[in-house]
Amino acid sequence: MTNDVSRRGLMAGAALLTAGMPGISWAFERDGNRKVLVFSGNQAVPVLDPHVRYDWSTRMIQQSVYDALLKYDGDPPRIIPWLAERYEVSPDGLTYTFHLVGNAKFHNGDPVDAEAVRFSFDRGLKLNAGIAWMFRDFLKPENIVAVDARTVRFTLDRPFAPFISYVPWWYVVNPKQVMANQEGSDLGRKWLTENVAGSGPFKLRRFDGNALVHLDAAADYWKGWPMADGERLSGVIYRIIREAAPRKAALQRREADMITNLTPDDLEQLARVPGVAVESHAGSNTFGIKFNCQQGPTADVNLRKAIAYAFDYDALLTIHNGQAKLQTSPFPQSMAGHIDVPGIPRKDLDKARDYLKRSQYPNGGIELEYVHVQGLESPRRIGLALLDSLRALDIKVNIVGQPWTTMVARGSKPETCPNMISVYVTPVGTDPDTVAYQYHRASWGLYYGMSHYENPEVWRMIDEARGETDNAKRMAMYAEIQRRIVDDQPEVFGMIANGLWGRRDYVRGFVFSPVRFTGEVDPYPLWIAG
Amino acid sequence: MAGYLLRRILLAGLMLFGLVCLTFVIANVAPSDPAALAAGPDAGRSQIEQARRDYGLDKPLPEQFLRYVTDLLHGNFGRSVATGRSVGTDLARYFPATLELVIVAMTLGVLLGVPLGVLSALRKDGPIDHATRIFAVSGIALPPFWFGLLLQLGFATWLGLLPTSGRLSVFTEPPDPITGLLLVDSALRGNWALLGEAASYIVLPAIVLSLPCLASILRVNRAEMVEALRMDYVVAARAHGVTPWRIVMVHALKNAMLPTLAIIGLRWGWMMSSTVLVETVFDWPGIGLYAVSSAIAGDFKPVMGVTLIVGLNFMIANLIVDLLYGVLDPRLRRA
Repeated sequence: MTNDVSRRGLMAGAALLTAGMPGISWAFERDGNRKVLVFSGNQAVPVLDPHVRYDWSTRMIQQSVYDALLKYDGDPPRIIPWLAERYEVSPDGLTYTFHLVGNAKFHNGDPVDAEAVRFSFDRGLKLNAGIAWMFRDFLKPENIVAVDARTVRFTLDRPFAPFISYVPWWYVVNPKQVMANQEGSDLGRKWLTENVAGSGPFKLRRFDGNALVHLDAAADYWKGWPMADGERLSGVIYRIIREAAPRKAALQRREADMITNLTPDDLEQLARVPGVAVESHAGSNTFGIKFNCQQGPTADVNLRKAIAYAFDYDALLTIHNGQAKLQTSPFPQSMAGHIDVPGIPRKDLDKARDYLKRSQYPNGGIELEYVHVQGLESPRRIGLALLDSLRALDIKVNIVGQPWTTMVARGSKPETCPNMISVYVTPVGTDPDTVAYQYHRASWGLYYGMSHYENPEVWRMIDEARGETDNAKRMAMYAEIQRRIVDDQPEVFGMIANGLWGRRDYVRGFVFSPVRFTGEVDPYPLWIAG
Repeated sequence: MAGYLLRRILLAGLMLFGLVCLTFVIANVAPSDPAALAAGPDAGRSQIEQARRDYGLDKPLPEQFLRYVTDLLHGNFGRSVATGRSVGTDLARYFPATLELVIVAMTLGVLLGVPLGVLSALRKDGPIDHATRIFAVSGIALPPFWFGLLLQLGFATWLGLLPTSGRLSVFTEPPDPITGLLLVDSALRGNWALLGEAASYIVLPAIVLSLPCLASILRVNRAEMVEALRMDYVVAARAHGVTPWRIVMVHALKNAMLPTLAIIGLRWGWMMSSTVLVETVFDWPGIGLYAVSSAIAGDFKPVMGVTLIVGLNFMIANLIVDLLYGVLDPRLRRA
């Protein structure tokens, strides 16, 4: 990775040169009389099992081949009925009853019934991997009951207000197929790694997680299709191209119809290519510089404040060519309950010096380590901006790039955690608890809890808010939580970078939703015109 | 000869064991937690501990090592924590692609390197010699990923002559493997269209992979040829009126080939490891790409598996070269 900078420079140059060249065009690929859409990104799909793993590329495939009770849709994200046509919550917030649609079928023709839903949640909890963390502290497997063929009832141990916001990520698998392929007592885990037992809009045709995943559109999808019948794709291919330059070249040559994992610079170059359209949307992926709040100089809140007031926030926007928004709260703007926290630090050197005087390092004179993910250009440049900003306080910054796994391992304990770690965090749902909980004691050591933030009062409020059933009260609590967290400054609240995609202009139906991970696209509504 | 062979094989086994120890130590001093990786980014402590038990990572290191070695003896390379799949199965799936790429690249290297070396030696200090020297030096000096991107830009993006990356078009279903080498399989099946497609995909990565090898074969062969052509037996042969063609191709080249052969053996191993870069640039689905994806994810069993396979290739290639030495040089056979 030491050649990263030169390589990146070269790629940028190459892309600039190619942007000026006449495009060599290929006709889009057809399968019979229907078209196949090729989507390309840099990340493999290691495991298909929806209860074992998720990340952007994996979930893109999972949501294509599986359905859940509810689904996230649109911007701002709404939760819409899917396998469940409606649901009820008991007044005490403990019982959720879902009523299933009658016509949903798995790809093999079996009906998607209440037992399948019960089995899937039961399996997710028992495997205790992937998505299990969402419910395992609130829901016991035995408290999921298939009341009749079309009704499932969940009884929680205690009220958990974010429940509904996580349900869309619990995909339903076909119990018959899964158990027929069980090895030992693995609940079909081995088999589902590379096979599918779903009811989703696409069927799995070919799977090589390191190279490509080919999906066929299910012509008889129980939910129907959003586009005219003649427009429906034959299928979608997810092709993995790891380097940015060949990926951009593939879009230009029409080898790919849509690509992601782009930098803001890439986006500008692509926007100039005839026949290419770019998508840039404000997501919910926050970028912050987390302080080690337990050990070292940054355990001192005044020093943290000083740094937060010295930092040049405009640099964040410049580095992203304006394809970003500053954070106005620990919560992203798209999240329920978000408020613009008054007095959230912006560059103000007088205030910075004020806070520095109150810290144990009134004259600076210290060196702090800033760790970012090796190979990611934006966080590295943000480190340079930080280095530049902190000169005013006579604080030196040592910028270190490390692989993600090393960085997270270091951040898992206060003793080994660097003074400052930059990290992107994508909340998994739209409920404010998803972000608030990152500041809870229970999140210490996880990648979003690397600040080891400590404020027992805030922790108590977070616990209380997740159990509150009165929504107005609950949102008021989150407003207070946001204010308190900003006051303690466990991190420099940075920005929300836009989600970026490049696509051929004939690709239609793209729907952005900020709840999706960076790069992730819902292939269901996509089609190709012309 | 049999004793010699046995000694060499024993030595190779010993080296392989050393390699196993080394990769195991390196994988375990890396400051990352494979259990956390297996459990996923948002997993809580209970899931991480569960993953630790599932993958046997809760056991003391000596026990883990013992288990790994026992597994290896049974041909089992352990399980990837990212996919849960057996590394052995993955290696079997990806190795043929790498082998095919290395064979094509090596063939290119030898078929071009040896004649160019001979030609340079015959035209020593002439324009051809200078040209090949520049070519060879740049061939060794060019970083493969840079050269790869440049070729992609030229031949794929600008000229549109060859595909950018991959092993086949995404729309082509790969045939059921016979050998796993696409070129061979499609020829065996008489599927010429597929053969053409596979060939068009392998050209660029093979060129990039072969360049450093071609360059070193060229240089070593040239030096040895220059040396050989000065020898008394060549002068004697000339005096006897042996045709220049025969002098060069039979007498001189056979002697010059000994060190060249050693280089070929070494380069075979080097090439296997260079696939890490070349396969990443070209998304060639072989063990190099597999190692890179796994290393980035902090998934070490696949990386260890690939290291062992590359090490094994080094050893086998050198063993074969040693044996061939005996064929080419009768003095060694007696020794």
